Amino acid sequence: MDRDASRRLLAAALARVAAGDRAALQSTYQLTSAKLFGVCLRILGDRGEAEDVLQEVYLTVWQRAGAFDPGRASPMTWLITMARNKAIDRLRSQGTNRRMEPIDVAEDVADAAPRADAALQSAQTSSRLHGCLGGLAAHEQAALRGAFFDGNTYEQLAERMRVPLGTMKSWIRRALTKLKACMET
Amino acid sequence: MSDTSDHIPDDDLLAAEFVLGVLSSREMQAAEQRAARDPDFAALVSAWQARLTPWTDEIAPIAPSETVWQRIEATLPAHPLRRASDRAPSAPWWNALAFWRGLAFGTGGLAIASLVALFVILAKPAQPPLVAALEAGGQRAAIVTLDRERGSLVIVPASLSIPQGRVPELWLIPPGEKPRSLGLINPERAVTIAIPASLLAAATPQAALAVSEEPPGGSPTGQPTGKVVAVGKLTNL
Repeated sequence: MDRDASRRLLAAALARVAAGDRAALQSTYQLTSAKLFGVCLRILGDRGEAEDVLQEVYLTVWQRAGAFDPGRASPMTWLITMARNKAIDRLRSQGTNRRMEPIDVAEDVADAAPRADAALQSAQTSSRLHGCLGGLAAHEQAALRGAFFDGNTYEQLAERMRVPLGTMKSWIRRALTKLKACMET
Repeated sequence: MSDTSDHIPDDDLLAAEFVLGVLSSREMQAAEQRAARDPDFAALVSAWQARLTPWTDEIAPIAPSETVWQRIEATLPAHPLRRASDRAPSAPWWNALAFWRGLAFGTGGLAIASLVALFVILAKPAQPPLVAALEAGGQRAAIVTLDRERGSLVIVPASLSIPQGRVPELWLIPPGEKPRSLGLINPERAVTIAIPASLLAAATPQAALAVSEEPPGGSPTGQPTGKVVAVGKLTNL
C-alpha cells in the first residue's frame, strides 16, 4: 500500500473513531501500534513502561479523535506526536532519565538515514529533514538527537555533553534555526 | 544553509523547543496550555511537528504484546459521542454486537482450563497456542486448538448438528471484519486444518471462530450462506 492510501485509510479510521466506532479504534491500533510502540520503547527503554504509555495513547485517541484535523497534520504525525509527548511525560515523572550516558559526538552521528520502511509519513519531508540534519555540525546533531530520541532536557544534555547550560541552549537554538532555514529552501 | 547568529523569533523557537522535547516539565506544560488557547502559537507547533516527526522514521516498528489491546479494550470508557445503535439492522450476523458480546468469557472457561492439562508444553513457544470452545445454544459443540507456530488447527467436534445434505464449514472472524473460510470440517471426527499463511496473522485472541452449515462442497460465495451452528472466541492458552 502506498503512503497516500495508508494516510487516507488512517484518516478515515480516525474519523470513525471520532464518531464512537470501536472497530475503527481497533483498525487504527492494528495499523499503527507497532510504530507507536517502537517510539515509546525508544524513549522509555522499558517494555512495561512503553506498553503502559501505548495504552494511554489509544485511550486518548478514543476520547480525542474528534480533535484531529486532517487539514493540519497527517494522521501518523498526530499519533506519533501524542506517543512521544506521553512517553516524555512518563520519563519526566520518573524524575530520572535512564539515557544519561555521556554523548560521544563522533559515534552518535553515525546513522542518520531514514529506514526503508519509513511508514506512513511523507517521503519528501523525511528525506528533506534527513538531508538538513546531515548539514548540521556533529555536536548540534548529537544534541538534537539526545533531545528527540532520549527525551533529554537542556540540563541533561549539557551534562551528557559536558558543556555549560548556556552553551547547550545556544547550540540547540542555532541548530533549530539552521534546520528551519534549510527545510524552507 | 545559512549560518547566521540570528535566531528565529522567540515564539517559533519556543514551539521548536516544545516539539523537540527539550524543555522542563513545567515549561512543556505551559507551552501546551498556550497552544490550546493561542491559534498562532498552535500553528507554529504544528509546523515543527511536521518538520521533526519524520525523524521517527529511524525507529523500527516493534509489535507490543497482545495483552495491550486487551487492556485497552477492557478499559475503554463510553465514547464522548456514543451512539445509540451500533449497527444497521441489515448488517450481517458477524457484525452484530450481540454476536461479540455473546462470546465474552463465559461457560467456556472451565473447559478451557481442563484443556490446558491436556497440552504438553515441551518448550515455551514464541507464539503460545490459542484455544476456542465453540458453543451452540449453551451446549459445547466443538473444541479448537490453534498452533500459530505450525500454522495449523485441530477441531474436535462434540455435538455438531448439521442438517441432512449439508456440510459444516469453519470460519475465522477477525473483529470488525468479514469471515474468512478455513475450509470444511467433519462433524463426526477431529480434523487438522492447515491455516493459509495469509490468514495466520488474523488468528489472534480477539478473533472468533464459527461453523456454518453449507451446501456440499462448501459456501459458493466465499461468505457463510447457511445457519451458524457453533461459535466461540479464540483465547490464549
